Amino acid sequence: MTIDELRAKAAERQQTCTQIKKMIVSRLDLEIEPDWITDDQPLFGRGLELDSLDVLELYVAIEAEFGVALYDSEMAVFGSVSRLADEVNPALRAS
Amino acid sequence: MASVLANLHPEDTVYGDVGDASLPRRFSAAPDALSAEYKVLRERAAILDLSAHLLIEVTGAEAIDFAQRVLARDVEYLTSERCMMSLVLDESGQVVDQVLAFGREDGILLESSAGAGARLLEHLRTHNDEGVEITERDDLTVLGLEGPYAWGVVGRLIDGELAALPFESVVDTTWNDSEIIFARTGFTGEYGYQMLVPKSAVGELWTQSLEHAQAAGQDALELAMLEVRQPIPRHEVTGGANVIEIGANWLVDVTKDAFVGKDAVLEAFEAGTGRRTVGFTGGEGVPTAGTRVYAGGEDVGEVVHAVHSVGLGTTLGLIRVDADLAAAGLEFTVAGSEVTTLTSPYIVPKSWSIPII
Repeated sequence: MTIDELRAKAAERQQTCTQIKKMIVSRLDLEIEPDWITDDQPLFGRGLELDSLDVLELYVAIEAEFGVALYDSEMAVFGSVSRLADEVNPALRAS
Repeated sequence: MASVLANLHPEDTVYGDVGDASLPRRFSAAPDALSAEYKVLRERAAILDLSAHLLIEVTGAEAIDFAQRVLARDVEYLTSERCMMSLVLDESGQVVDQVLAFGREDGILLESSAGAGARLLEHLRTHNDEGVEITERDDLTVLGLEGPYAWGVVGRLIDGELAALPFESVVDTTWNDSEIIFARTGFTGEYGYQMLVPKSAVGELWTQSLEHAQAAGQDALELAMLEVRQPIPRHEVTGGANVIEIGANWLVDVTKDAFVGKDAVLEAFEAGTGRRTVGFTGGEGVPTAGTRVYAGGEDVGEVVHAVHSVGLGTTLGLIRVDADLAAAGLEFTVAGSEVTTLTSPYIVPKSWSIPII
């Protein structure tokens, strides 16, 4: 793969991650810029320190924004923004 | 500085020097020691000798103002029932240490990372504009408990009710007539606890803990930390990398009015350039820190830290590459071999699917 192809592939994931970060900040009314959240930081407990109520809010938000229902998913899908990106945009995993 | 528990550890314990401390890396010289200790940590309950973490007490009328200025996270309302992890930065935004801050009635108690105590203490003293009292609590030391069943050990060892404390809660309690500070913490994504214990009592607590848990050394702990992308400053703060490049934004609160290093961190964030850190796996062997990373034949970064992951059965590490290439699912070349970048966590902690009962 050429470096331009790698950059394009990275940009696709970063775009999905940015969309997720904006959704999290907006839905949970956080006082930070979306880009302050890194793709790999933990979201629950450590890291963004979200709690179980926040998870419920995110279930609804993700379904509304991405049309993906994660209600029966394991907590691991919320392991990081990048991990969530794999769920809401399966093309990232397949490529 | 040797571990206060050194005389209780097995004779073939493998020690290593980290910063100003000598700490147990593995509790046996057997070839499979790391694997065995890692499995205890990820599958059962591990007791950790964290005596290389220095405890520093800050007291005085302006202790909270001082802590608020030198810590990168907001500790203004950190009560004596809470603790939190924070970075300590210098004026240029470089990481001095990653600390655990405990709110106390008369100030704040800071726990350094392994072997970083002397540097942290010096930094605090040179930034003491408020004239607070900064005291090395060399009468206390730290034990950790981590693992999917660590909560059961807490119940058998101290008090079952403490096992279900919310994350980063702190309780002052007694064990065997000694006053201890007990906290729900964790570095590895598993259920985690810390006990701040008088040195006079720690030997007995360690010995009794071994009746319910097995010891795991620094190598197993750091591997498990890496797997959940918990920053390990001694490996990651290299080559002048700033907070943004390390990806430790979550240990900095930019909504806080002011703290040492804030301007530099914001400048780096707003520039949006430089390099970013991402996990990788694969390749042949474990590349050393500094090994170049290539994409499409171009040099795009370097290896930050890499180890053999017991959980993955292959190499796991971090690379720092150009920001527009810092993403999971990409293939790079490291030391002539192909590696693939990953989403974190790289291993899903068992504790995420096991309730405390």
